[in-house]
Amino acid sequence: MEILVCVKQVPDDSVKVVLNGSGQPAIDKIAPVANAFDTYALEMAARFKEANGGTITAVSIGPDEFKTSLKNCLAVGADKAYVVTDASYDGSDSLATAYVLSKAVAKIEELEGVKFDIIFCGKETTDSTTALVGPELAEKLGVGVVTCVTELALNGDKIDAKQETEEGYNTIEVAMPAVLTINKPHYDPRYPTMKSKMAARRKQIPTLTSADLGTDASLVGAANSAVKTISLSEPTKKQAGIKINEKTFEETFAKAMAVMTEAKIF
Amino acid sequence: MSLTDCKGIMVVIETADGAAKSVGLEMLTPAKEIASAKGTDVTAVMIGEGLEDAAKQAASYGADKIITVDNNDLKAYSEKHAAVLKELIEKYKPETVLIGATQNGKDIAPIVAGKLGLGCVTDVVSMKLGDDGKIVFTCPMYSGNILSDNVIDTVPQIATVRGGSFKKGEPKDVELPEEVVIAESMPYGDIKTTIKETVKEISEAVNLEDAQVIVSGGRGMGSAENFKLVEELANVLGGVVGATRAPVEDGWISRAHQIGQSGKIVAPKLYIACGISGATQHVTGMVGSDYIVAINKDEDAPIFDIANVGIVGNVMQVIPAMIEEIKKLKA
Amino acid sequence: MAYIISDEAKDLLADVKKFCDKEVRQQCKEYDISGEFPKEIYDKALEIGLSAIEVPQQYGGLGLDHITCAALFEEMAKADAGFYTTMSASFLALTPVLLVGTEEQKKWACNKLVEGGYASFGLTEPMAGSDASNVKTTAVKDGDDYILNGRKCFITNAPVADFYVIIASTNKSKGVAGLSAFLVPKGTKGLSTGKHENKMGIRTSITSDVIMEDMRIPQSARLGREGTGFITAMKTLDMSRAYVGCGAVGIAQRALEEAVEYSKTRVTFGKPICQHEAIQFMIADMDIKTETARQMVAHALTLQQNGKPFSRESAIAKCYAGDIAVEVALDAIQILGGYGYSKEYPVEKLLRDAKIFQIYEGTNQIQRAVIAKAAMRMRK
Repeated sequence: MEILVCVKQVPDDSVKVVLNGSGQPAIDKIAPVANAFDTYALEMAARFKEANGGTITAVSIGPDEFKTSLKNCLAVGADKAYVVTDASYDGSDSLATAYVLSKAVAKIEELEGVKFDIIFCGKETTDSTTALVGPELAEKLGVGVVTCVTELALNGDKIDAKQETEEGYNTIEVAMPAVLTINKPHYDPRYPTMKSKMAARRKQIPTLTSADLGTDASLVGAANSAVKTISLSEPTKKQAGIKINEKTFEETFAKAMAVMTEAKIF
Repeated sequence: MSLTDCKGIMVVIETADGAAKSVGLEMLTPAKEIASAKGTDVTAVMIGEGLEDAAKQAASYGADKIITVDNNDLKAYSEKHAAVLKELIEKYKPETVLIGATQNGKDIAPIVAGKLGLGCVTDVVSMKLGDDGKIVFTCPMYSGNILSDNVIDTVPQIATVRGGSFKKGEPKDVELPEEVVIAESMPYGDIKTTIKETVKEISEAVNLEDAQVIVSGGRGMGSAENFKLVEELANVLGGVVGATRAPVEDGWISRAHQIGQSGKIVAPKLYIACGISGATQHVTGMVGSDYIVAINKDEDAPIFDIANVGIVGNVMQVIPAMIEEIKKLKA
Repeated sequence: MAYIISDEAKDLLADVKKFCDKEVRQQCKEYDISGEFPKEIYDKALEIGLSAIEVPQQYGGLGLDHITCAALFEEMAKADAGFYTTMSASFLALTPVLLVGTEEQKKWACNKLVEGGYASFGLTEPMAGSDASNVKTTAVKDGDDYILNGRKCFITNAPVADFYVIIASTNKSKGVAGLSAFLVPKGTKGLSTGKHENKMGIRTSITSDVIMEDMRIPQSARLGREGTGFITAMKTLDMSRAYVGCGAVGIAQRALEEAVEYSKTRVTFGKPICQHEAIQFMIADMDIKTETARQMVAHALTLQQNGKPFSRESAIAKCYAGDIAVEVALDAIQILGGYGYSKEYPVEKLLRDAKIFQIYEGTNQIQRAVIAKAAMRMRK
């Protein structure tokens, strides 16, 4: 089983992001981490590999610093990793990103002499939260896609994927190769072991550029992206009302009831 | 893409059991405003089975034209819906396609965008017509802590719209518009997925989006047992029960009640937050409420920053007392 | 920067911190109350290999240098000193094996830890704590075997250990020169453990008596020559002292961080208390003590790493760090005021945890005796 896991490095999503003086997200001081949903994807891929055998390759599009989270991926299940770095890709929207990824898939397949059976993506990233790249990548590759997957099982040359829905779940059969976008399963990603971490640090992560991928320059980057961000803002803050914290519970409660009754909210 | 002369706004309305989902009708409000400013019209699209009533609903909320693709094959949402929508876009050439940002909507949008090479934005919370005639779509990023204004260069263009972001218009008692296209089938193309089983784990109908009063509980409720107090308070107020992620993950209440980034986005008249600290992921989903009451024993809880009334106290004391008082008021 | 460590070590430290933040820090509270051994936390810790950090590479471990281990141990102690105690106690027991064990003994013991096990060092007895010469446990030669009888007390990890290093007398008449060390696998017939001590602090570590009743072990289980047990034990304690200091530093650092955080949010007389000089000076003193202790630990370990004499420095590191951990924890309680005294807040636990660092692995009085002897030698 040849498995590819797409990973994006994002600012730690437990930290609140605000805009800096020049109106851009102030993320330079926030620790970079692998997107949470991508870590779920990798864990699911690792468990799938443990059950069915195979190789897991992780790929990121982004600057060299993305190797930090790729090294972590190598410590928790990925066997190989590639980073796709090219200044011309900066500011690509989801469609352009899906295009670059589709080219990266082809290139890695060529380099490794394999064909990927399953491509795992996180359901969405915690930074831009568009949830678009996975299905768009599937369309670019001309393969099937199942979104919001929380479990999967091998079924001959097909996959049975459990898709979380608003009311429950579907079991969806999809032929391989396929793209799966992963939601939070009922388990947490494993921790790297001290040993796997040290081994991962010694692994090489090759860099691929636009020249390696042969991407069409007119289809990538901010200028050639369909979606253009024209400005960023912070949502208007709701004014805090009153906070009631009297000496005793009785006093606090009486005061709160008075305020709420006055506001006629009941 | 070689689609030229695209015009008008196509609003894709999802249905459930023959009725239009709220977000579909809500989207007609901004669609009509923008269409009238641009001198074009709004076409409602429904794909499913048994769509007559939903079509009437769409008409009463102001759709100028209606297209239904009504077919037993399309009863349950699947990849086929995306194939049908792609055909409709190619055939009717709208300038903008709006889709409700439900799970199905968010599934269909990128598939169609990918098939047709169209720009797409997700979870739109507001939109307006820019000076250059382009629609500016506002979308949340970083858990809703930052909003981005985007334009889309492609035509057609696709946007998924978050429920609760727009108010439904006043329904008018109208006949179906003259232009109703009913297609029974469309080519699906190469279908790669099969739904083998659909399981409904959540049987109760939880209508948080339309609720006037929501009483929500968080991790601070402490246990499934204590969480029942939240339900009791919601009952006496005639409201709906909401929850943050923690109680859902701990199995105190079903996923249908979850409010926030990974749940429902709500805007009731009254929102009572019990034992909720106020993490951004949750606040994003309820900050639009008219009046917020927060009960938390931690006086530094961020929920107090957005509450109209913040009660610093133990939920196990405050809620029962509140239930008593409200019962007296209502008696 | 606390310890000067490599980029690789920083990476490992970040992982250990993340693990402790998510799996130990909060979880240990409930076990601090119940006094129960949090097996599920330890299972995860063993899974990620925390029991192998000091095991030499040639025996399958990570073979990390002393300073890196200190940084990792401090992080563990910062999350929960009981957790630190459990993890470091296994290395305390491994040390005599590495010092005087045969190749076979080393391989066997290291493998136990690499595979995710625990170990116990059994020296202390009801009547022999600081005065190790009073050991009453006997090991009597019987053909090719030894038969051990006696009772060890306050033994960390005893109920869960995969192996024990036991110090017993093979020749009563020779006093300390008659002591020998033995490597005893768990499950040995005649070996049992007593009831879990209900301790003041480090309550997530498990401590009990080890009882030996006609316990027969082969001669091959002896560590080193007969009569070298006391020297082996003293060398072991010498080597582990600085690590005890680093656990104490972890507690002090935690106390400092808790106090700083609280002082920023608590407002009195119209401003956060961190803006009052009275509090600032307390915080400065807490930081001075913590960092000084840490650097003494680092210095002692650097000497050890470089093969230089380190007994005096290790004793200073252990003694000073143990003392200041108690002082800094007390100061943190003072800064948090009533909240500091309340079990709702984490700092009262730090004081309970810190106290043992003045007691175990050589009381601070014994450390002072060691230091004084060294100081007097210097004056010659």
